[in-house]
Amino acid sequence: MKIAKGRILIILLILAGIFTAGCTAPTEEVSGEVAVEVPDSIKIGLVAPLSGGASDVGNDMKQAAILAVEEINADGGVFVEEYGAKILLELVEGDTQTSPTEGVTAVERLITNDNVVVLVGGFSSGVTLANQVPAAGKVPYVITGASSSQVTRRTEINTSYFYHYCSTTDDYSQPILQFFVDQLKPLVAEDRDLKLALIYRDDAYGKGVIDSSIAYIEDNNLSIELVAQEKYPTDETDFHAYLTKIADAKPDAVYTVGFVKDTSSIFIQGQRDVGLNTVYMAVECNEDPAFYNLLGEWGDGQLLESKFAPYADDYTPLMGPYKDAYLAKWGVMPGMMGADTYDGIYLVKSAIERAGTMDRSDVNDAIKQTNEPEMLILMEGGNIAFDKYNEISPRIFIEQMFWNEETGELLPVIVLPEDLKSQDFVLPDNYEIGG
Amino acid sequence: MAEITTLIQIFIWGLTAGCIYVLMAVGLNMIFGVMKVVNFAHGEIMMLGAFTSFWIYHYTGLNPYFIMFISMIVVGIFGVIIERYGFRRVLGTGKLNEIFLSLGLIYIIQNLSVKLWTDDIRKIDSSFSSITLDLGMLNITYDRIIAIVFTALILITLYLFLTKTDVGRALRATSQNHEAAMLMGVNVNHMYMLSFGIGSALAAAAGTVAGILTPFNPYMGTIPGIMAFTVIIIGGLGSIPGAIIAGLMLGLVQNFTIFYFGGAWKDAVAFVLLIVVLIIKPTGLFGEDH
Repeated sequence: MKIAKGRILIILLILAGIFTAGCTAPTEEVSGEVAVEVPDSIKIGLVAPLSGGASDVGNDMKQAAILAVEEINADGGVFVEEYGAKILLELVEGDTQTSPTEGVTAVERLITNDNVVVLVGGFSSGVTLANQVPAAGKVPYVITGASSSQVTRRTEINTSYFYHYCSTTDDYSQPILQFFVDQLKPLVAEDRDLKLALIYRDDAYGKGVIDSSIAYIEDNNLSIELVAQEKYPTDETDFHAYLTKIADAKPDAVYTVGFVKDTSSIFIQGQRDVGLNTVYMAVECNEDPAFYNLLGEWGDGQLLESKFAPYADDYTPLMGPYKDAYLAKWGVMPGMMGADTYDGIYLVKSAIERAGTMDRSDVNDAIKQTNEPEMLILMEGGNIAFDKYNEISPRIFIEQMFWNEETGELLPVIVLPEDLKSQDFVLPDNYEIGG
Repeated sequence: MAEITTLIQIFIWGLTAGCIYVLMAVGLNMIFGVMKVVNFAHGEIMMLGAFTSFWIYHYTGLNPYFIMFISMIVVGIFGVIIERYGFRRVLGTGKLNEIFLSLGLIYIIQNLSVKLWTDDIRKIDSSFSSITLDLGMLNITYDRIIAIVFTALILITLYLFLTKTDVGRALRATSQNHEAAMLMGVNVNHMYMLSFGIGSALAAAAGTVAGILTPFNPYMGTIPGIMAFTVIIIGGLGSIPGAIIAGLMLGLVQNFTIFYFGGAWKDAVAFVLLIVVLIIKPTGLFGEDH
C-alpha cells in the first residue's frame, strides 16, 4: 500500500507539473516589470513553385528570399517593440508544385501548422488565385509573382490582406503596346496599322495579359491590327503549327505571353524552323538567366519587357550589391521574380517593425500604410506605396537582347524608358516585313 | 484555304511529332506484347534517355545523334534492371500490383531526377540545329530530317531483328503464347528482360530526339507517356505496325488540328480519335480479336 500511495503521489506531481507548464505563460521578472517571453523567430511563409513546371522561377524566388532573410538576421533580426528585442526571421517554404491544388495545400499548411505571421511569394496567376483562398482575411500575403490584377481585385473573397508587389497585366500591356506603336510602327508600317500576332498560355495569366492588351488597344484606338491570336496548353513544347498559322497572317511583330521554356521555344522555332523572321516580344517573367541561356543566338535583336535588368547598368544603388551577393551565394545571376521576393521580405520586415508586434492584423495594417523608398524594383515617384487596390506602381523597361559572337553570350540593353535607356531600338538583323 | 507550302510545313511538323510518339508507342507495345504488363512509367524512362544523352553530351561534347545510341544502351540496361527486380517480382500476382508498381516508378524516377539534376530547363545542342535544307518552298532543319530518318532506321532494324534472328523469333513466340514458347525451349524470363530493355531503349531514343528539338526538364515525360498509351490503344494493344501508323496519325492530326481549330483542341482530338476508333473497331486499328 505504501508503494501504491507513493506511485499515486508521483503521478499526481507529474500531472500537476504538466498542467502548470501548459497553463501558465512563461514569464520572467525584469526590474520589477513582467516581461513576456521573446519568441525564437518570426515565421515568414514563402509560397513558391519549388517543383513542377515553373520551378526555375520558384528557385530564384527561394534563393532571393534566403538572401534577404540572412542579411536581416546578420543584422540581429527584426525589432519588435512588443518584446523590446530583435527577433530572427525564419523562412518556411510552401511548395505550390506549380499546381493550384498543391498550392492550396501548401498555404493551408503554412497558416495552420507553421503559424506564419505573413506570406510572401505566389507565382503564376492561376496557382495564386487558388492558394489565396485559405489566406483570405486571415494572413497578410505579399504577392510577388502573379500578374493578374484579379489577385487584389477579385470580389468573391476578402482581399484586404493581399498586396500586389509586382506588375499587373495592365501595367505591362500598356508600355509594350505603346512601344510597338511608337518605336516599331514608324520603322515597318508607317502608313498602315501595325499587324500584331498574339501567342499566349491558355491559363489565367496568359488570358489576363491578352485581355488587358486588347482592351488597351480598343480603349486607346491604337493603330494596331490583331492578325492572329493563338493560345496553347501550358505543357506545350512543340509550337510549329501555331507559328506556321501565325506566319500565314504575315505579322509585323509577335507578342508572346509565356514562361521561360515556352517563350524561348517560340522564339527559336519561329525563326529557325518556320522562318518567321520578325520582332518577338517576351514578358517580364522571362527575365531569368535560363531564358538568355536557352535562347542563345536566336535572341539576337529580340525584345523583353521587364522591371528588373541585372545585366544592364546598375541603374539603382542596390543593384550592384544585390547582384554580387546573389552571384557569390548561388553562383548564378538573379532573376526578376527573385528580386520582387527579395524586396517583399524587406517590406515585411519594415511592416513588422512599424507595427511593433507580430499580430497578423496589425502587420496587415502596417503593410497597407507602407511608404518606403524603392528598393530593387523601381517605382513611379520613387516610393513603395499601395494604392486603393493594394497595388504598387512599378516602372517598366523594354530591353533589347543582342548576341555577342566573341563571348558567346546573349545580353540585354534597356531601350525604354528614355531616362534609363542605353541605346535606341533597332530592327533585328534578320527582320523581314510580314515575317 | 491555306497555301500548299503551309500545309506541307504542317505535315512535316506532324511527322516529326509523330516520330516521337512512334518510338514511345512501339517501345510500350514491345513490353506489353511480350509481358502483358502496362508500364505507366514509360514517359519517365523517356526522360531518363534525354538526361543520359544530355549529360554524356555535356561531358564529352560528342555528336548527340551518336550519343543517342549510347543512351539507348544505358537506358536499355536500366529497363532490364527494372524488369528483373521490379516487374518480375509482381508478375502474375494481379494487374493492380503491376499498375501500382509502375505508378510508383513515375514518382520515384521523377523525384530522384529532380534531386540529382534539379528541375532546371536543359537542352541538347545539336550542331545541325541552325542548318536548314532549302526546298525552295520551305526550309527544314537537318535535326527534323535526322529525327525522321533515325526513327525509320531504328524501326527497320527492329523489324529485321524480330523477323530474321532466332532471338527475335523467340520474342515473337513469347508474345504469342508464353507456355508454347517455354515448351519450345525459349527462356521466357530472358525474353521479358529483353523486351523491357528494347522498349526502354526506344523510349531513350524518343527522349533524345525530343531533347534535341525542344528544351526539357524532369517532367518532360508526362504528356508523351499519356499520348503513347493513346497511340497503342488506337493502333491495337501489342501491335507494332499499329503503333507506327497510329503514332504518325496522331502527330499529323494534332498538328492540323492546331492549325485549323487552335491549340485548345490538340489533346482533345487525340481522345476523340481514340473514341472513334474504339467505336468502329474496339480492339484498335491493328488489334487482334480474342
